[in-house]
Amino acid sequence: MSQSLRPYLQAVRSSLTAALTISNFASQTSERHNCPEVEANSSPEILLNPLHISRNENEKVKIEPSYNSVRISIRIKQADEIEHILVHKFTRFLTQRAESFFILRRKPVEGYDISFLITNFHTEKMLTHKLIDFVIEFMEEVDKEISEMKLFLNARARFVAESFLTPFD
Amino acid sequence: MLLLDYQNALIQSLLTERFSGYALFLPLSTATPRIVYRSPRSRHPANKLDSEHPPPPLTKWFPTSTYGAQEVLEREYGPYIVSPEPGYDFSVQVDLENLPAEEEARNVLIMKLALLKRNAMAAPFERAFDEFNKLAEEASRYTSESAPQGIQEGGEVMAIHYREEEAIYIKANWDRVTVIFSTVFREETDRIFGKVFLQEFVDARRRVLTLQNAPQVLFRNDPPLELANVPGLSAPGGEVSYVTFVLFPRHLTPQRRYENISHIQTFRDYFHYHIKASKAYIHTRMRKRTADFLQVLNRARPENEERERKTASGRTFRVQG
Repeated sequence: MSQSLRPYLQAVRSSLTAALTISNFASQTSERHNCPEVEANSSPEILLNPLHISRNENEKVKIEPSYNSVRISIRIKQADEIEHILVHKFTRFLTQRAESFFILRRKPVEGYDISFLITNFHTEKMLTHKLIDFVIEFMEEVDKEISEMKLFLNARARFVAESFLTPFD
Repeated sequence: MLLLDYQNALIQSLLTERFSGYALFLPLSTATPRIVYRSPRSRHPANKLDSEHPPPPLTKWFPTSTYGAQEVLEREYGPYIVSPEPGYDFSVQVDLENLPAEEEARNVLIMKLALLKRNAMAAPFERAFDEFNKLAEEASRYTSESAPQGIQEGGEVMAIHYREEEAIYIKANWDRVTVIFSTVFREETDRIFGKVFLQEFVDARRRVLTLQNAPQVLFRNDPPLELANVPGLSAPGGEVSYVTFVLFPRHLTPQRRYENISHIQTFRDYFHYHIKASKAYIHTRMRKRTADFLQVLNRARPENEERERKTASGRTFRVQG
């Protein structure tokens, strides 16, 4: 792990741990409703201040806490258009499987590549510290995966080009 | 399978089957059976069950009369040519009763028929190579300054419209033959992957010592200068990319000619095939990685499976809900 990645992930981990102290909260505006307040946005006193953690201008995390839910949005590093297309493909692939990922949001927040929504129902059924582990591991792995895919593409392209040109000799 | 074959595998397997003699035992004489083989390039009429008719869709590439295609096809398929069926430009017919006796000769014939597309497309290449020889000979009589205009500019640009919207352009000069592929990327991903691949084609010659003799490859998104006078090209900045192969005299020698013509024709298919293959690989990779992530997430779910509880005497009991 590189030197600048460690404090970045550590900051995300502590902020998430602090933000994930959420509890059940029924809607104030409509009877017998109980929805994630960070999404419903029904009354300002239930929302807390959003947190931005940035490693650089291309990699950042936004944590939006509220009384009963937390929304985490991640911007994945995209240095060039190959990485951009790979990130786009990968996040689309994941969001299409949002059903099995429970906490994954189908649509990322504007300006970010992928968003998670953790509600009090998730933290009641699942272990909070393990959920945080998942988010951190996701951030670590996704960078690695993208750069590996890019390397693979370049290696394959090189090999393909050389084998096509060899018979001309 | 890294490099693609030059022949049409379907025609090859179909003819191998028919030539093996097995097919003769099919009920050919009865009135009812209708066996019609349909493929882009082979069609079998129901009333001529003992012959093969694979006509190529030549009209879409270029008229058979131009670029010497008719002569090339006559040279290759001389005795087998019959008058074209309606809707086609070229037909060959093989009489299954009079096949060559030896197995080897039969295989040669099968290969020849399976290479129909290659041979038809080779005509403009052969013409360009001949033109190059002529121009090179003429040019050798002049110094570069005093050469007349015609030699400097080279021959005409020949186009093979082998797919809709895509074409191969061939131009002979006194010192080289330029082959330009125009190719279309339908999707953003394809375009970017294609760019990565093409960049490697361009760099391969510079990077690898053993490839110093390979043709030079260039690519750009606007039509190259050679195509300045060709009508009907799309405006620059579109989805079309142009890949230029510069064949040098050492690629145009009579010994290398046949192989190189076959090989360069497969470029477009080879290139797109590997883009698709990379996409497929990346897809399986993402699938695997997603499964890994899911596993990590599932660790967060506590295992709360009810274990069967027993009393000290070994009896089980169930809590009444």
